[in-house]
Amino acid sequence: MLDRAYQWIDDRLGIDPIIRDVVDHPVPEHVNPAIHPRSIVYCFGGLTFFIFTLLITTGIFLTMYYVPTPDHAYDSVRYITDELTLGSIVRGIHHWSASGIVIMVVLHMLRVYAQGAYKAPREMNWMVGVGLLMVVMGFGFTGYLLPWDQKAYWATTVGTKMASQVPVVGHYLLLILRGGEDLGAVTLARFYSFHIWFLPGAAVTLLGLHFLMVRRQGISGPL
Amino acid sequence: MHSSLNPQSPPPDPTLVSRRRFLGFGIGAIGALIASALGIPLVGYAISPALKKKKEDWAEAGSVAGFQPLQPKKIEYSAFRKDGWIEETVKKSAWVILRDGGDVTVYDPRCTHLGCAYRWDESRKSFLCPCHDGVFDINGKVVSGPPPRPLDRLQAKIESGKLFIMEG
Repeated sequence: MLDRAYQWIDDRLGIDPIIRDVVDHPVPEHVNPAIHPRSIVYCFGGLTFFIFTLLITTGIFLTMYYVPTPDHAYDSVRYITDELTLGSIVRGIHHWSASGIVIMVVLHMLRVYAQGAYKAPREMNWMVGVGLLMVVMGFGFTGYLLPWDQKAYWATTVGTKMASQVPVVGHYLLLILRGGEDLGAVTLARFYSFHIWFLPGAAVTLLGLHFLMVRRQGISGPL
Repeated sequence: MHSSLNPQSPPPDPTLVSRRRFLGFGIGAIGALIASALGIPLVGYAISPALKKKKEDWAEAGSVAGFQPLQPKKIEYSAFRKDGWIEETVKKSAWVILRDGGDVTVYDPRCTHLGCAYRWDESRKSFLCPCHDGVFDINGKVVSGPPPRPLDRLQAKIESGKLFIMEG
């Protein structure tokens, strides 16, 4: 049934070579955990991406009920968690995945670093990876404010105050981050905007580059 | 493959599921499991408002002292309303008619045609809707005009002189 549907599409569009190129390529022996259990370390990047897809999916659904204004943010999060069917699961996946992706990113970086896989000719991919690390941190920082509870409020108060310690331009940075002198409606709205538009856009762009470069250059050789 | 080049090896059995195909099924099955572990909560969450039972509660609508039997009177009262995470008190109105024997009839104040507010005309003993000339009698029945059904009744009761209307 599925085979026939695939065949039908392939007859018309000739997608077989594309599919083969994207998903159906041999994994080198030294990165195959079925042959060397220690090769599990090569899964960290893929697991990071898997968690990223969980975050994107649950995040899209969370916007269905969440409202980023001081009047409604806290109450709408309560509503999602306490009143909606399985809402605590959806929010829970987003919450735990947010911590999970930071852990996986760090493990992935440690593997690349420990194996020296960032060296020539892969320096550019390392730099894109550092960009992705910044994006993940940005997601964490902006997402932390959105529940608009005490923890969110004070964590962001402290976090934005840190930026003001930068010499000369510090105070301007604080104003840009907060959208004013104090944390408030403008802060919440711009953090939300970054969290659901700017950062996902940046993440998807950088991930595309990251994957293209891995395919182009291949996985670094065995130690 | 070496084996296919070997003239001694038997031809492959077409009914046999190859290892590659078997593993493909396995990956598909695990993928489906993960997808449903994510998909079921997401669907439940998205359609949650349709699964919720409406909460019903009695709203206190004031005293009926001084109401004349069979004399429709428009009342205003406050009702609690829950709109998602927003909980608020809203002003509502209704038409109240005391019946002989202590019964009470309460009508929703919107005409059943297109929702306009109607009024009681004492001389004609009818409810008149100004928008499209809908006319109802004191029992809510359509006398003339476009309304498709009688006035909507709200569940109501009188307890120790106070009127209660069911909200929900």
